[in-house]
Amino acid sequence: MSTGRKIARCLLQSLLLLGWLIPLSHAADGMNVLLVLSDSNALYQNFANTYRQNLPAGIQLHMLQRAEDFDGQQADLVVTVGVSAAERVALKTTQPMLAAMIPSHTYADLLAKRPAHKLTSAIFLDQPWGRQVDFLRAVLPERRKIGVLYSADTRLGMAALRSALNDHGLTLTDIALGRNDDLFTRLESVLTASEVLLAVPDSSIYSSSNIRNILLSSYRRGIPLIGFSQSYVRAGALCAIFSTPEQLAEQAGRTTASFSKTRKLPDAHYPASYEIAVNHEVARTLGLTIKPAEALHIQLEKSAGDPR
Amino acid sequence: MRPTHRIEMDYYQELPVVLSASRLSQPLSEAPNAMTVIDRKMIVASGFRTIPDLFKLVPGMYVGYYKGSQPFVSYHGSPDQYARRMQVMIDGRSVYMPPMSMVDWTALPVTLDDIERIEVIRGPAAASHGANSTQGVISIITRDAGEMDGKRLSVTRGSKGVNDVSAHFGRRGETLDYRMTLAYTADNGYDNLTAPPNNMTMAQGFALLNNSYDDNLSRLLNYRADYHPNAIDRFDVQFGFNRNVKNVGWTDSPANPVHDLFATSGFVQLGWTRVFDNDSELKVNYYHIRHDQHETFLTTLLPQFIAQSVKTDRDEIEVQHTLPFSESNRLVYGAAYRQDRTEGQYSSLAPIAPAYASSLSTAEWRLFAHNEWRVTPRLLLNSGGMLERDGFGNNRLSPRIALNFHAAPQHTLRTGISAAYRTPSLMERNFPVLQPGELFVVNATARSPGFKPERLISREIGYLGEFRDWSTTLDLRLFSDLLENGGFMDTRTTYTNGISAEYRGLEATLKHSFDENSELTVNFARELASSNGAAMAAAGFRALRSACPENSDTVACSIPRNSASALYSQRYSGGMSFSAAWYYQDTMQPFDRGVTDFQPIQRRMDARIAKTFNQGGGFKGDVSLVLQNLFDAKYTDYVANNVFNRRGYVTLTLDW
Repeated sequence: MSTGRKIARCLLQSLLLLGWLIPLSHAADGMNVLLVLSDSNALYQNFANTYRQNLPAGIQLHMLQRAEDFDGQQADLVVTVGVSAAERVALKTTQPMLAAMIPSHTYADLLAKRPAHKLTSAIFLDQPWGRQVDFLRAVLPERRKIGVLYSADTRLGMAALRSALNDHGLTLTDIALGRNDDLFTRLESVLTASEVLLAVPDSSIYSSSNIRNILLSSYRRGIPLIGFSQSYVRAGALCAIFSTPEQLAEQAGRTTASFSKTRKLPDAHYPASYEIAVNHEVARTLGLTIKPAEALHIQLEKSAGDPR
Repeated sequence: MRPTHRIEMDYYQELPVVLSASRLSQPLSEAPNAMTVIDRKMIVASGFRTIPDLFKLVPGMYVGYYKGSQPFVSYHGSPDQYARRMQVMIDGRSVYMPPMSMVDWTALPVTLDDIERIEVIRGPAAASHGANSTQGVISIITRDAGEMDGKRLSVTRGSKGVNDVSAHFGRRGETLDYRMTLAYTADNGYDNLTAPPNNMTMAQGFALLNNSYDDNLSRLLNYRADYHPNAIDRFDVQFGFNRNVKNVGWTDSPANPVHDLFATSGFVQLGWTRVFDNDSELKVNYYHIRHDQHETFLTTLLPQFIAQSVKTDRDEIEVQHTLPFSESNRLVYGAAYRQDRTEGQYSSLAPIAPAYASSLSTAEWRLFAHNEWRVTPRLLLNSGGMLERDGFGNNRLSPRIALNFHAAPQHTLRTGISAAYRTPSLMERNFPVLQPGELFVVNATARSPGFKPERLISREIGYLGEFRDWSTTLDLRLFSDLLENGGFMDTRTTYTNGISAEYRGLEATLKHSFDENSELTVNFARELASSNGAAMAAAGFRALRSACPENSDTVACSIPRNSASALYSQRYSGGMSFSAAWYYQDTMQPFDRGVTDFQPIQRRMDARIAKTFNQGGGFKGDVSLVLQNLFDAKYTDYVANNVFNRRGYVTLTLDW
């Protein structure tokens, strides 16, 4: 970047900062929150809209549309949405930070890079394995052999999943796909040993171009795929448990509100609310009787409340 | 990783709708008809190497052979060798072809290895499968284009000239999947009859002896591509070709001596499926089929050569829309237009008949709608119908209504009533005056212009039970099918309606798995028929005179009272597997055959052993041995000299 542009940008940012300070002075008791989105696409916009609606009055919200726009701007709390925003903010500032919509393993990496700062927390994007296992048991109580295919270079915590499954008498067949391995040969190995295929957020395997043959292969064998979004269920997965951007945003709003009172952040936590979607057409063709999504939700809430 | 890649997008990415409505197969407990599914496991375990034989595994179905090279498949006993009352479709493409309205099974451009599964609907299903599904529908679904990524070579050698080679290869890509098959298949048909059948004297059975010239040879290819450029569109492109040569004719027939019949059959099929935001689906399917046959032979009637050919073209386009109104109500409706052209050439048989050529074209259209309504979670109502205008200007409505009641989650009761019509075939309407040889070069003018569509009304009660604790499913069905205006060949050249028949029976399929590695399927059918055949024969219709000694009703005689089949398969460690199949069929008198061809009880046992191996480095395969009619039980098929002795073959398959 040329020096001229740098100066211009600094000036612009100072102006913007000045712009924020003016309303701040009018609401002296208000708290200043900076929302940093990773990108300006609809996913983050949905988050931002819901987040804004869930903020209590008196909180000043300012927003950056892209992670790159953050350059150490001051705020009482920086709320990041998505991984790139979290990574950038974590590196550039030591201000209190709430990282929303971030996978739990990514957050662990982030913390490792950021010197321990008490005021850092997160709302994870993924579901805790315990909830995922409860979900599997609620949906398909008779299927006990769970299969997972993942790329060797992703870290999804297979050991934790295995122990969560084993606790309930379920078994895990997990196969790591190496760089030179054939996806469908490995998939066949997983399917041979499994009764359920659990999809994981790993775009080198579950890409929109691979998903068709993954679904068709598992469907051919009568093995249901468990997805992790509404779009999986529409594509042909049997069911999915997931949190929508809106649900994460509501939760971030609540955490922000409590921060405004206590100036403390809770520990990083998994999504409090989630949705369940079931593709009953797929269930029927596979000869599976699945409870309605609402009933599954209630059952899960109940089992989460039970002492373990 | 791409710089713009956002990990959270892995969670929220948009995906194509893969298992859309047309892709999902209907579970048996939801289907409006009785249905038998033959899947890949069964295909492999059966050990069969031709498609028609697979239907021995469907309760109540009759697999017959006019000669070893001329199979036919029917339901409700034996018809004549053209079996005109079954609709047969491959990926939605009707291969039930004019002028005979039959399926040339040996000329289909598809190998057993290309088939993913076969759904057989027992009973009329015009509302969902179009016209001419009077007795039932065979729907062959071939493997997906993306199912294979690699190469496979398979070689089969065995007794009776069994000699098959096939090469398959396929590729999966980002937006394009394709696969291709090249195959050669040959066999020498049935064994020779060496002693007169059915306690006949040598003189009576003489013509049948050593009369089995029924070699069959095909060279075929097929190609299927699946192009999916985006999340909502899918294009299915298929083409195929089969060049078949078979022995036909009889040593003792002056008008149809033993000779070769050549068939060249090809098709192109283009399908487009689009899924909309409301999960409705539009499907457009077009195909073209060309089926050419020719034969040249020397007739000893008048010592001269006869050369004749029949060329048939079919074009059809179908548009279908699946519209889900709600979670519990779905409508499938659409329209189709079909054009068939048949050209025949017949050489001079001077001085008896001059040379002639005929060219006939028929066009038909149909509108159809089928609604699936879950009235309550336990009650499913399937209703629908098809309105068609057939190639001869007949307008027909074929309705269907069926109710499936899930008395308990694993126990379903089904009851339904449906009607279907069969359009007269060109051969029946425009039968040639003189027809030596195997082909029918139809007349330009109709000889039986008043021949009406046959009508079938089917009523049934079915039960489907799943006993999970015993790993067992049971499929039971009681039915009564009424045939009206049943057609038959009245004189040697004209066809007449007039048969009324009722078919009643019980069909059962039991499936049981002993453990993860073994399965048993048992099918049983008991069927009785009654018709006005005896009265018609008494009224002077000689064609309906019964050939069976103890029953003057020729329709009733043409049905095996009891038939059964069983298929057991077991997988062992180390890649070994074993399967055995058993087939039983009571005595029967084939419908249009004389007493000579009375069919004694059929009993047959087949067995298959196989070993898969994996040499590592992506090189694997299997070797198998199939023995058919293991105990060499003596039986005949449809014609008395179709003798099937014990035979065996070995198959080696390599994948890499």
